[in-house]
Amino acid sequence: MKEGFRQAMAWLHTWAGLVFGWLLFAIFLTGTLSYFKEEITQWTQPEIVPHEVSDAVAAERGQQWLQANAPDAKRWFIRLPDERNPDIALTYSPANGGFERKSLDSVSGQPVQGRESMGGEFFYRFHFQLQMPHPWGRWLASVAAMVMFVALISGIITHKKIFKEFFTFRPRKGQRTWLDGHNAVAVLILPFHLMITYSSLVIFMTMVMPASILTTYGSNTSAFFDDLFPAFKSAPPVSETAPLASIVPMLEVAAQKWDGARVGLITVNNPGKANATVALGSNGADHIPHEPGTSLVFNGVTGELTQQSSMTAASLLLAGGMYGLHMGHFAGTLLRWLYFFAGIGGTAMIATGLVIWLGKRRLKHAKSGVLPFELKLVEMLNVASMSGLMLAVVSFFWANRMLPVSLAARSDWEVKTFFCIWGLALLHAFGRVFFRDGRTAWREQLILAAALYCLLPVLDMLTAGSYLWGSIRQGQWTLAALDLTALATGIFLAWGAFRFRGEGQSVIASKLTPTGSSRKQDSRQTLTGGSELAREGVSEGTTVQEAR
Amino acid sequence: MLLATLLCYAGFTALCLSMNRHAEDLLGAALSGARSRAARWLGWVVLALSLWVALVSLSVGQALVQWFAALMGSAFVLVFVMSYWPRLAVSLAAIGAVLCPVAACIQLLA
Repeated sequence: MKEGFRQAMAWLHTWAGLVFGWLLFAIFLTGTLSYFKEEITQWTQPEIVPHEVSDAVAAERGQQWLQANAPDAKRWFIRLPDERNPDIALTYSPANGGFERKSLDSVSGQPVQGRESMGGEFFYRFHFQLQMPHPWGRWLASVAAMVMFVALISGIITHKKIFKEFFTFRPRKGQRTWLDGHNAVAVLILPFHLMITYSSLVIFMTMVMPASILTTYGSNTSAFFDDLFPAFKSAPPVSETAPLASIVPMLEVAAQKWDGARVGLITVNNPGKANATVALGSNGADHIPHEPGTSLVFNGVTGELTQQSSMTAASLLLAGGMYGLHMGHFAGTLLRWLYFFAGIGGTAMIATGLVIWLGKRRLKHAKSGVLPFELKLVEMLNVASMSGLMLAVVSFFWANRMLPVSLAARSDWEVKTFFCIWGLALLHAFGRVFFRDGRTAWREQLILAAALYCLLPVLDMLTAGSYLWGSIRQGQWTLAALDLTALATGIFLAWGAFRFRGEGQSVIASKLTPTGSSRKQDSRQTLTGGSELAREGVSEGTTVQEAR
Repeated sequence: MLLATLLCYAGFTALCLSMNRHAEDLLGAALSGARSRAARWLGWVVLALSLWVALVSLSVGQALVQWFAALMGSAFVLVFVMSYWPRLAVSLAAIGAVLCPVAACIQLLA
């Protein structure tokens, strides 16, 4: 391969990675949290107690409550409880438009008022909408996904020794270690990175690349979605009324047709009218491809099966497969944790990349010890986007427990807390980086974040202790696992803060010379590491000059 | 999947030992040319075997997903262990190899 091409790819990797790195870090971190979306929601609503209940009983209770309280709605959705969702979630659209939501206790069938909180949904939404008005957030997230894909491919091309250094990680070698870590975490879980990035583009393909849909369906894109999701297609309600058949026998039909796969979502169109239909969708935990189009549609009055659709087209199955792999709804506990760790790996890859970018350029200013303005700007954004976001995330959980339950617009205040803390972290990073030094900014934010994460389990025990112990006594470890994960995160951040101790110059410069205490073999490697580094620094320098 | 995971780890360890630099770290000395080539062959064959083991025990989709998870996880564990406790890395592979028949029995009985 020509060296010029590789240099061009290195340039692309460097600058695409820098410009979108901060945003991608936030997208990856919140996306990683979203693998435990339901668990986070459960933690944030200690009022909703999980119970074991059969699908038939739950469906019956949902139907009864809706019949009594929302008989005139145009459409009902009943989401049945499962091992990750404690409540029967009802959503209905009243005649005057909009949507209403209710949570029912799965044993009593009565509404439970969980505290108003977005819970895991907040991180999930932020992950692809970035708290921006529709559709701008989705567009920006899609652009970021494309840049991520470009950065991955250009990174693979740039990495000269992808097989030779496959197993290489040399700890405690300063900048060398950062680069090894970046490469190791990128290469070792490359299948995950490629899958997650490519599938994110597939998920938004109807938005980003609508040409194929537009040529077939013209401007009538709703016809496309009707074909794709027959469960949501509905005729306008007729005026004649007729009582709705019981949903329970339909669940039995589904159990036969689907060979044991469970029902997840029940959609009732035009309930109480003569042309009512009931559509059953399968529970996403039972298969890898996301199959929103797989459904059984029943006549809502007679209860007979009228339509049976499944996603058999290869293209739909491929797209659904990509979607399913990205979301990981099918993953059991172990696989879900692996998804979570792989997500942390992706986040760490972005973080190490940003640190390396700055570290390489800092070397040139090691003697004077003064960074030029643009490098200070990058350092400020590094601190605010990484440790600042960690602070913002934990403050969301603190706000969930500290804000009074009766506060008006409570869930908005949780979100506001998240962004206020993030903004304050940016201000703090600005003050420290420009008027003192970056190490202090990192250290102070990491210490605060470490304390907040470590104390989160204590806060949980103080504010919802009985909920926590009750769930453990029932053998459910979801809440305890979240607390322990917070504790582990806190310990990790404390270790990070410890690495930034002291007022000394940058670690990177001091780590380039071997220390007396290290073993002989170590120092040999440090020297070779240093010379390799110097060479890379030079080539990087020429690239920078070319760029200018 | 236990068997496939153990095989993935053992396969990666063999591939790793076929590289002189890593063999020095893990065993104290590089392998001879013939042994190093044998280790490389063994590594690839064992990795292929782990894929086959996954495919016969699960449906294709689940098998591929879980095999990739095992592949990435075991490579990650190997690199982590050999960076900090190089001697332990090979012992783990040996223990894994000894456990393989047990894991195979579990898989056949399940």
